[in-house]
Amino acid sequence: MSDPALPFALPPRSVDGLPDFPPRFDTPLLKPYWDAITRGALTLPACSVCGRWQWYPYEFVKCHAEATHAWRDVSTNGTVFTFALAHRGFLPNADPKAPPYVSALIELDDVVGVRLPSLLVNLAGREPAIGMRVRLAPLRRSSYVAPAFEPT
Amino acid sequence: MHTATTLAAPKLAIVGVGETEFRRKHERGLDALVVEAARRAIADSGLAPAEIDGIVVPVGMPPADEIAFGAGMVHRGYTAINAYTPGAGPVAALVEAGHAIAAGLASAVLVPYGIRTSNPGGPYAYHAADPLKADLEMPVGYYGQPLYFAMLAQRYRHEFGLEPEQLGALAVAQREWAARTPNSQRAERITLDDYLRAPLVAGLLRNLDCCLISDGAGAYVVTTLERARDLPNPPAVVAGVAAGSNPWTLTEMFTQSPRFLDIGPNEAGRRAFRQAGITHRDVAFAQVYDCFTPSIILQLEGLGFCERGEGAAFVADGRTAPGGALPVNTDGGHLCHAYIPGMTHVLEGVRQIRGTRGAAQVPDAEVGVVSTFAGPDHATLVLRRDHR
Repeated sequence: MSDPALPFALPPRSVDGLPDFPPRFDTPLLKPYWDAITRGALTLPACSVCGRWQWYPYEFVKCHAEATHAWRDVSTNGTVFTFALAHRGFLPNADPKAPPYVSALIELDDVVGVRLPSLLVNLAGREPAIGMRVRLAPLRRSSYVAPAFEPT
Repeated sequence: MHTATTLAAPKLAIVGVGETEFRRKHERGLDALVVEAARRAIADSGLAPAEIDGIVVPVGMPPADEIAFGAGMVHRGYTAINAYTPGAGPVAALVEAGHAIAAGLASAVLVPYGIRTSNPGGPYAYHAADPLKADLEMPVGYYGQPLYFAMLAQRYRHEFGLEPEQLGALAVAQREWAARTPNSQRAERITLDDYLRAPLVAGLLRNLDCCLISDGAGAYVVTTLERARDLPNPPAVVAGVAAGSNPWTLTEMFTQSPRFLDIGPNEAGRRAFRQAGITHRDVAFAQVYDCFTPSIILQLEGLGFCERGEGAAFVADGRTAPGGALPVNTDGGHLCHAYIPGMTHVLEGVRQIRGTRGAAQVPDAEVGVVSTFAGPDHATLVLRRDHR
């Protein structure tokens, strides 16, 4: 599979219908985030001067010119800020016949001003809802572990 | 000591508009489409190509020298790229064109814009090129503009309430407008029942809530009102125009924005209204960027036609349809006419002010608003008829 308009090679098609699209790591900036998820933890970058969360992280720190990114482990519990069923596999390697998956933004406990793009899994018949309490449920993909969440 | 010079800004008018055929897929390249639209806009203006001496192109276009050459321009006293994100660009370019004319750098400026969303990868590929989206969002399937706007819609529903019939009212109204408009890609009328039976794409959004996939281009010519009065078409007077931005990046706006439902135009809208000296009651129609139906609701709130949270009820019951109190996207918009981001809204605004829209003509179209956005950037234009 190749796609001349996409600036990278397509990964193989997802086999279980859930998103399976490895991070590209065009920069090493987000390696600590993904490494933490493989051990069931969440770590986020903060300003080394004032402690303000830097999410999403840019190559520069937004608030202090002389600062660097200081990575800190955070709670793996949180709340659904918003969600949507993806009725189509939007990713270019999606299986078009796969059932919808639940995409969501999660706000973590005690982490102000940060939302994690994620998946809701293990719903066991429960309807997803804004305000639903969730915990990290790392989801093994073909070559990485994704930050999925499940109801508590 | 530095002394600022205040130039007496001349009044401007849009005097020529042009477009290609709009289709899901054109075989011709973007440069050919943009040049065709530019030639038609110049021909429509009544000016000779040699009289067009300025060009402002939004980002992502073929080189300006190539478009100018193809359009027959032989003098280019002013050439600029407008860096507002596409969608906002075709309106924001008017700010620069106005500055160029006020400074005496050009006397008549061409603004062309086109797109080929049929390119491999489609419209989503724009976001796939973003390294942060590639590393944070695509691995969890947070991808595709319909999904982004479904996230906004779900949050809106949570905070204020949002019913499928309210989104459907917009989709039905815009089909009716498209059915009355030549060159529309989707001109078959639909009912609310058709809408409610349409397949879901993401969250609350159905395929009929989503803009078209289009290949095509549009262009306009702007000059001074004084000169416009000697040209064949009734001038569409630029009564107010302003561009602005929200303090976050395109990368972050669909996940991290602290004002998640604020997609503009807010301050730019207020500035354009103030310049024009109008209130909302003066507005006969609005052309509002409609990548997805929720974006219309959010921008009408941002423009102050109603309060935040009231937009869904505001657009229900046919208010935006032919005969409604506030006709919106009177060519069918990006949902049903064509997706040439932000540009077709300008062309339609000009035609309504000219009074040449036949079955889609808004009665007493004295003043109209065009408001578009993309990412954090947005721009608002107030057009009005000329009164000597």
